[in-house]
Amino acid sequence: MNLALSRQPFWPYVWLLLRLRVQIMVRDFLRAKRGRKIGMIVLALVIVGIIGFAFFASWWLLGFLNSPELAEITGDLDVLLASIPVLIMSAAFLGILFTSFGVLLQVLYLSKDMDFLLAAPVPIRAVFVAKLLQAILPNLGFISILALPVLFGLGLSQGYNWLYYPLVIVLLCALSLAAAGISSLLVIGIVRLFSARRVAEILGFLGAIMTMICSQSGQLARFNDMNADQAQAFVSLASRYNTPWLPLAWAGRGLVALGMREWSGALLNLGLTLALSVLIFTVALITAERLYYTGWASMQTVPTRKKQTRKRSAANGTARPSGAARLAGRFIPAAVTALMVKDYYVLRRDLRNLSQLITPLIFGVIYTFILLREPQSIYGRNEMPEFIAAAVKNLSLYINVGMSLFVSWLLVARLGGMAFAQEGKSFWILKTAPLRVSQLVLAKFAVAFLPGLLLGWVFLVALAILQQAALSVLWFTAPAVALIIAGNTGIQLTFGITGANLDWSDPRQMMRGSASCLSSIVSIAFLPVAFSLFFLPPLGAAVLGIPEWIGQVVGLLLGGAFSLACTIVPLSLVSKRVLLLGEAS
Amino acid sequence: MSFEPTQPMIETFNLVKRFGTKTAVDDVSFSVNAGEIFGFLGPNGAGKTTTIKMIVGLLQPSSGSVRVSGYDIQSQSLQAKAASGYVPDEPNLYAKLTGRELLRFVGDLYGVERGQVERRIDELLRLFDLSQAADDTIDSYSHGMQQKTAIATALVHDPKVLVLDEPTVGLDPKSARLIKDILRQMAERGSAIFLSTHILEIAERMCDRIGIIYQGRLIAMGTMDELRHHGQAESSLEDIFLGLTGGAEYAEIAEVLG
Repeated sequence: MNLALSRQPFWPYVWLLLRLRVQIMVRDFLRAKRGRKIGMIVLALVIVGIIGFAFFASWWLLGFLNSPELAEITGDLDVLLASIPVLIMSAAFLGILFTSFGVLLQVLYLSKDMDFLLAAPVPIRAVFVAKLLQAILPNLGFISILALPVLFGLGLSQGYNWLYYPLVIVLLCALSLAAAGISSLLVIGIVRLFSARRVAEILGFLGAIMTMICSQSGQLARFNDMNADQAQAFVSLASRYNTPWLPLAWAGRGLVALGMREWSGALLNLGLTLALSVLIFTVALITAERLYYTGWASMQTVPTRKKQTRKRSAANGTARPSGAARLAGRFIPAAVTALMVKDYYVLRRDLRNLSQLITPLIFGVIYTFILLREPQSIYGRNEMPEFIAAAVKNLSLYINVGMSLFVSWLLVARLGGMAFAQEGKSFWILKTAPLRVSQLVLAKFAVAFLPGLLLGWVFLVALAILQQAALSVLWFTAPAVALIIAGNTGIQLTFGITGANLDWSDPRQMMRGSASCLSSIVSIAFLPVAFSLFFLPPLGAAVLGIPEWIGQVVGLLLGGAFSLACTIVPLSLVSKRVLLLGEAS
Repeated sequence: MSFEPTQPMIETFNLVKRFGTKTAVDDVSFSVNAGEIFGFLGPNGAGKTTTIKMIVGLLQPSSGSVRVSGYDIQSQSLQAKAASGYVPDEPNLYAKLTGRELLRFVGDLYGVERGQVERRIDELLRLFDLSQAADDTIDSYSHGMQQKTAIATALVHDPKVLVLDEPTVGLDPKSARLIKDILRQMAERGSAIFLSTHILEIAERMCDRIGIIYQGRLIAMGTMDELRHHGQAESSLEDIFLGLTGGAEYAEIAEVLG
């Protein structure tokens, strides 16, 4: 590093880099299509509306909590109100600490402009600060949208001193910088031990799984059954967090003290918070200046270090294939098997794909748990007339089918929808190979259909066993599930290839346009129609007093024909489309 | 030698490719014979990669046709593709496969018998010095290793026609030399090699014939002697190339900047 450069004033360079980023954003907006521009403006207006609503709602609600009438019933809530800034400021700090880790990893180590920036005569500290700000500003903006209306509403409802309001913003910014500073140190440290790309993949995988679990775990909570003691315990827990010994609480405590004109408490807490934030940020800056460049540079010089060594499998070398493989080889062309094996490896090894594939399992487990824990939530609470209850009980035999289809639909939507797009820039290997279109389509169909079928059947059998239902009905439900999944796979493949984007570098960009949305709509419309054609005949037979097996056979014929049509017709469309895939590039 | 040296292995007939209103390739016709190394030169954006993509079946021509090993690339694409190997300018390979898995996958796509493909994979990995990294995923390879892997995939099925788009970019001198030796050996065994490059020295030394494309049109084609005759006073390929594509005047600017 050039020492003369490192002593240069770096803020002008930070400003230069940030201004460049703003220019790019403005230019992107100006060059966007009219529809996108309107969408962005509408989104901004919606956000302003939400902020306004949250502000007035907080003002009114927090004022209500302060009312003497409520205090007569619930006891004094001042302690809870004083804890709100503590909780919000702590949540903002932790939120930015965790969310900025992934963003910092991207901007500090994986963004493509680093070669250019580090080769330019720009102080490394300026690059680091600009990247840091670039990483935290969106998160800070998002957290501010959530936190500021509540904190300002609290200030108005409690009649806080005017100094409270600007200090809320100053403290949010200071805490964000401190959190991002710690986060950047973590990133710099971890990247010295592990590959940045691999860390990003693992982070994406864990993030997706955690988001899914958190979003769905609300389904498991029983808020209806919460009693007064539990509510009291929650209030007490929030109050206990508001302690002077916890550094995270200092910001909130200082704000409340400032609002209530307790100057000494305000000065102490706010001074400590600001001093600590500045200290953390400065340490991060100095450490980063020393470690970031060397860490980044070492990443460039050891690109070939072993990351994932795969053991040679038994099938490698000249080992003879197993009996099943030989048998499959007689009926399935080697190219189809090779494509299936390749897709299996790619899907399994890329954690970004794996997180999307695990999602259906999480959904399935949660909803199965709910189904088994509270069957009355689906079948009713014995409040319906007897003849309806009997019909519903009959219908309940097929609820398991619905659950199996739902879970497999989620899986097939990912596997079928992205089947062609996931080839990405490597599609040239397939397109220049002597591969029949029918072989490619067959392989892609099998890769999407077989796991969906397996998952659907596993859920079907497992639910039947857990509910102690008769397994004999499987002769009818298992083929019905298979055929419906086949139809769904055909639909997903068709829309998937229509919207396939082969130039993606992030898997979230695999699809373009409205193809994935349309595929969801069409497949959601397909499922109930196919389900009805399969299962209404046996239900009708039961109502009419005809043996149920006759209804089931009719159902298989009607639903089977419909599902097969929805499999074959889309696949023929896919075959035509395959020839044009990648032509634009 | 069991091949007929005048047997055309790559033939293009009045090849045209349009992207909207832009004509990227305009009425290009040439042939490459068995045992011949054909160099395809042209400035950036001249239409080299587009022509190559039509030869290997990645793009459909707007008009005209391509025959590879006697088969039409559009109507007899399976036979034409089975006879050819392709190395793109960017080695975009399946990042999550190992080098060995990728070669086996390509061997299966080209219908190479399993025992034979395993022997061939070991040979190629040894040849390209990739044996140590054979069981690592490709995303851990350097650019040069990926380029060598891409070349190995093109050779798995021992093609009769090899099409290479800038094959030596990103390769160290040893690997670049290896590629040149392999191409020469393949040509001697009767394969047709079609090679695009910006390194005029490679073209001058290696290629039996050279074609120069400029603004989508094939403006010159022949042996070095024929091109020299065409260019009259110019003696090196660089002079001929710059004379034909209008780059000679930049020498003056470079002198001023220098």
